[in-house]
Amino acid sequence: MKNLYRPIESVIEDIKAETPNIATYRFRPKEPISFAAGQFVELTVPGVGEAPFTPSSNPNVTDTIEITIMSVGTVTEALTKMKVGDTVGLRGPYGNGYNMADFEGKEILIMGGGVGLAPLRSLILALFDDVEKYKKISIRYGARTPGDIIYKELLPEWAKMKNTEVLQTIDQPHPDWKGTVGVVTVLLDDLPLLTTVDVGKLPFNPETAVACVCGPPIMLKFVNVALLDKGFKPENIYHSMERNMSCGLGKCGHCMMGEFYICKDGPVMTAAQIAEFDDPF
Amino acid sequence: MGGDRPDVLGGPRSASQEKSYTPFQARGLARMKEVFIGSENLLKLIGRWAKGHRVYVPVTFDIMNNEDTPDYDLVKDEVPETMKLDGAAPAHSAKPFIFYPREVVANYPSSDAEALVEAPSTIVVGPRGCDVRGLAKFDKVYWSTKHFTEEYDDPFVIEKRENTYIVSIECTAAKETCFCTMVGGKPYATEGFDLNLAPLGTGFIVTVGSDKGETLLSDSDDLLREVTSEHKSERDRNRASVTEAVDRQNAQFAVDQPYDKRDLAASEDAWAYVTQNCVGCGACNRVCPTCTCFLLVDQRAKGGYERSRNWDTCLSIGYARTGGGGNSRPALAQRLENRLRCKFEYSRDRYSLVTCTGCGRCIDACMGNIDMRESIKHVVTEKAKA
Repeated sequence: MKNLYRPIESVIEDIKAETPNIATYRFRPKEPISFAAGQFVELTVPGVGEAPFTPSSNPNVTDTIEITIMSVGTVTEALTKMKVGDTVGLRGPYGNGYNMADFEGKEILIMGGGVGLAPLRSLILALFDDVEKYKKISIRYGARTPGDIIYKELLPEWAKMKNTEVLQTIDQPHPDWKGTVGVVTVLLDDLPLLTTVDVGKLPFNPETAVACVCGPPIMLKFVNVALLDKGFKPENIYHSMERNMSCGLGKCGHCMMGEFYICKDGPVMTAAQIAEFDDPF
Repeated sequence: MGGDRPDVLGGPRSASQEKSYTPFQARGLARMKEVFIGSENLLKLIGRWAKGHRVYVPVTFDIMNNEDTPDYDLVKDEVPETMKLDGAAPAHSAKPFIFYPREVVANYPSSDAEALVEAPSTIVVGPRGCDVRGLAKFDKVYWSTKHFTEEYDDPFVIEKRENTYIVSIECTAAKETCFCTMVGGKPYATEGFDLNLAPLGTGFIVTVGSDKGETLLSDSDDLLREVTSEHKSERDRNRASVTEAVDRQNAQFAVDQPYDKRDLAASEDAWAYVTQNCVGCGACNRVCPTCTCFLLVDQRAKGGYERSRNWDTCLSIGYARTGGGGNSRPALAQRLENRLRCKFEYSRDRYSLVTCTGCGRCIDACMGNIDMRESIKHVVTEKAKA
């Protein structure tokens, strides 16, 4: 029987600073880990502990995994002290990712807040691999300040992809920022309310479009309300749920939300699945 | 896992043995086969078991003037004189035998899963009906393929489950805090045991519940007798009397809502009221026969690092706290609500299993004197008013 709790040794191949407290790590596991966009892995810092992360690399690449990580807790802080060549542990993948087969032929709205764009990057890269299949990919990203923006070099490249647009905002006015200002929901202002008209560069129909949302809980809460107002169907709104997780296997209980285990029934869950909860975020 | 079981059926038996009782004829017929064993002979039988297995029995400890509640102790050379098989449930459930409070589950960088699994052959004499029902939760959570095809089987619990013999005992008395009959249970096990003992004045009726249990009797025909109708009537009288006692002492906690149809989504105030005396110590989690939650903890160890699995408590503030400081249940009242609703609603919805078995240990263990029967009654009543 396989040991469910054993991490696979993985070497840090590259560390790229994104912001003062966010970096993208590239790991090479000794055994390949193949995941679907939206699934997560448990990352072990030896002797310190584990924490769950959704990879930010292309799921179609299996020999290495990239994870963009913000230093906020015990494990992530310990990780900042590690260097290229050091060994960490990975196990997984776990949970449910995006139902990408259902995205074909549709407009896809991707809403990221802060470091919440990181897990969405793996989805974005997977979508780009088959970009012809989707009617439109609209990436809308909010960060607190220009200094908090991750993937600064990638965002303009993504905007050049076929059928793709990238809209950005920051929370407060800033001398270095010429673009939109306001919390991330302002990026939904151009969307029609329960009607079908052409807006922005490309057409958008909220009634059939799919939304994939990841960010801090407060953002999910307001984006969820805004998208439902705009006419998105609850079953088409995918949220990345965040909970404390220890095992990732549906056993330890930490991520329980009612009868759901976020690690098994999530971490990607639709607004329809979580509709029974007053405040699931 | 599993392995060959000794052939305990068929084969010639001595005339003297056949006089005492009829050997089991076939494996299929063995289930629920009943025999009688005298009290002295049971001591001998337990002594024989102790030669080949770790055997735990409930014994009384003369501490804190609490001689009545026994707890488990390992049988060493002799069966201890303080062994107490009658009365109500021991202080602990069967949980610690299959789910250790702390267990190393991985060493890394290198790891050999098989070598880590510790599951010596163990016989636990003493779990009550409530405790045996509690084991079902472990089977659901850790032994998924037994119940629904999944990839996440846990060798640490499964091997202990397979190598542990559950010898349940019927209650002959109820503690004040017992309420098994309020949650669909009985003061005796009806399934899920390997052997079951019904205490009588002069001995015990032994019921065989599994092939595994049958092996425990295979070399002890000399100690067993046929069950008589008097034995059975004595058992029935005891069952009826304890059931009646449990029913009677819980009449005051009755609510107009079946235990398996609980809806405890009451107001914040209702839950704050029942949480008043809770200090979040987690004693209820630890003694609960169905609290399966744990925390993985990594630390340095010889040759690298080790990862241990430790019992955890959902009442601690850090239980649901995330890296950025978020917390889906920051208030203690939310956490106690989560605990009780997990027992009645969430486990039912996820595993088709109400996981409160009415053992009453959470009430015994609570330093704030929180009685979950009162809590449920308050919440159900407040919800009905709303």
